[in-house]
Amino acid sequence: MKQITYISLLFLAVLLSGCSSEKKNPAWVINEVMVVNETNFVDDFGQRNGWIEIYNNTAKTQNLGGRYLTNDRNNPKKYPIPRGDVLTSIKPHQHTLFWADNEPFNGTFHVNFKLDPTQDNYIALYENDGKTLLDEIVIPAGMLADQTYGYVQDGVKYDKNGSSIAMHLQRVTPSSNNAILEENPKVVNLRETDAFGGLLTITSMLVVFFALLALYLFFKLSGNLAKGMSQKKVAQSGTLSAARSQSHLSGEVLAAISAAINELREDQHDIESTILTINQVKRNYSPWSSKLQTLRKLPR
Amino acid sequence: MNTLLSLTDNLQTFWHYTGFANAEAGHFIMILFGLVFIYLAITKEYEPLLLIPIGFGILVGNIPFNEAANLQVGIYEEGSVLNILYQGVVKGWYPPLIFLGIGAMTDFSALIANPKLILIGAAAQFGIFGAYIIALQMGFAPNEAGAIGIIGGADGPTAIFTTSKLAPHLLGAVAISAYSYMALVPVIQPPFMRLLTTKKERLIKMKIPRVVSQTEKVLFPIMGLLLTAFLVPSGLPLLGMLFFGNLLKESGVTRRLAETARGPLIDTITILLGFTVGASTQATTFLRMESIKVFAIGALSFVIATCTGILFVKIFNLILPKEKKINPLIGNAGVSAVPDAARISQTLGLEYDPSNYLLMHAMGPNVAGVIGSAVAAGILLGFLY
Repeated sequence: MKQITYISLLFLAVLLSGCSSEKKNPAWVINEVMVVNETNFVDDFGQRNGWIEIYNNTAKTQNLGGRYLTNDRNNPKKYPIPRGDVLTSIKPHQHTLFWADNEPFNGTFHVNFKLDPTQDNYIALYENDGKTLLDEIVIPAGMLADQTYGYVQDGVKYDKNGSSIAMHLQRVTPSSNNAILEENPKVVNLRETDAFGGLLTITSMLVVFFALLALYLFFKLSGNLAKGMSQKKVAQSGTLSAARSQSHLSGEVLAAISAAINELREDQHDIESTILTINQVKRNYSPWSSKLQTLRKLPR
Repeated sequence: MNTLLSLTDNLQTFWHYTGFANAEAGHFIMILFGLVFIYLAITKEYEPLLLIPIGFGILVGNIPFNEAANLQVGIYEEGSVLNILYQGVVKGWYPPLIFLGIGAMTDFSALIANPKLILIGAAAQFGIFGAYIIALQMGFAPNEAGAIGIIGGADGPTAIFTTSKLAPHLLGAVAISAYSYMALVPVIQPPFMRLLTTKKERLIKMKIPRVVSQTEKVLFPIMGLLLTAFLVPSGLPLLGMLFFGNLLKESGVTRRLAETARGPLIDTITILLGFTVGASTQATTFLRMESIKVFAIGALSFVIATCTGILFVKIFNLILPKEKKINPLIGNAGVSAVPDAARISQTLGLEYDPSNYLLMHAMGPNVAGVIGSAVAAGILLGFLY
């Protein structure tokens, strides 16, 4: 019982230590916003307007159709993104661009509001119910022409402390990654900090040992428990196994002792090793000679 | 005359499409490799279930053809039949299915009965990281070094799964290397096992493992998954399928599913995996200096894994009471080449004492090695992918 308590406590501790309190990045992120567009990206109508880039921050294809974009805190359903447009289906970790031109009849990606550089611009994306907030951002007033505001790394909204890390971006990247990665950052980091590979080796071996040590501990404890329980059960049954469970002798030793006792009990021979003793065995009836046993049907 | 000329033209055009016209020396070298694999499988019976499909795959993959003609026959030509079959390797979904079958055929009783043997499986994973360090020093990038290092896990599916993520361009070399050395375990391991053990150590007799209850067997896959996958979620496809397969086996109520997993399913996937891995060794993409380096490091990784497993047992014995000492001849089984590595422990054990049966003890670290290498793969993916 004590062991079960220890195991339970161990698991509880592991589970509790694993519960992360870090703020998670949302599934949709308003990734980059341009308020004043003078010489930048042109829409299909040859016009320049402010734009809002939305990023699918998941590893699955998601559809924006039916959700709402707004720049009004009191009106979450301001621009319903039309359903049924295949272009609103956004692949994993990809973007789409909405034009803030107040021209909703120009197509799915033209919203019914404009952004104002003289004041803070609140932009939010709401779920299909118009109540659940998916993501929001406030673009500070005074944005310069052709300047964007958003996140340096696509979809990474918070730092380790959970604070928003939105900022004026150095590069304008409509509908493409905000951070262009030429190489896997983990690999670059390892190349710089652990060129010999010793650090990764030690860390990894520690993790491998820890994982298998956890298995070892669990099965050590559960094994002891199972052994104790089975010994108790066998001891109560009063069989040979009971003797084994109560002694520290190995199975082979007990088997040898049992064989010796058995031989002693059934010893019918004379002491002289060269004399064969034949004892008559009385057997009045044998099924081998029974005609009854060979008949499939009783004779009528 | 004109007819004769057009006939010559036709024959010439036909000639350009033949294998003879497109052959390079590399193709013949690779075909020779394929033949060696088939020879080893048939005459020496070294892992025939793997070496036959791989060997024949090498032959198929190295039949030269006119690549410019876009015939869609090559494994690297998008849309070709071989390319479609190869997707299971490239996208990494063959290995987890193999693991499902391995789980459904593996009896973890030896491990549950004597759980300290699990730690040998952990120690042998140093082969992976030792090879990682060597690969880094030989100029490979960390992600490539990780893919090469995983050869030391001695687990083909794990090696393929990890390499398909970390360094797909090395997939052929890593897979062929891993499977070749797995087949050559009976040649690679014994000299190091003899070298690192004393006669007295080789004669250590271990206690017969206790009988494991059905409840413990059912608990094993569940707890195994929870304890390892929470720690290394990146190894989930492998660990999840391994333990799932084992639960199918041990639950006692899914016999049909377990039989399918360890029978027709694993056989089908083994055929597809072996054949396509073999076919992926097209000389034009495979025969490079890089591949030779991968082979060299792969061999070293097996040696390191064998030695660390044995040395760990020797060190472990220093703290174990006399009656619980472990025979270091089972240290080699920490690599996950199941059950060949365990069989070698048995053979060597019997060589020194005909009454010392080590197979059941060696199966413990052997199956722990499978779990250990899947965990190590998860760690590498976590750090490098």
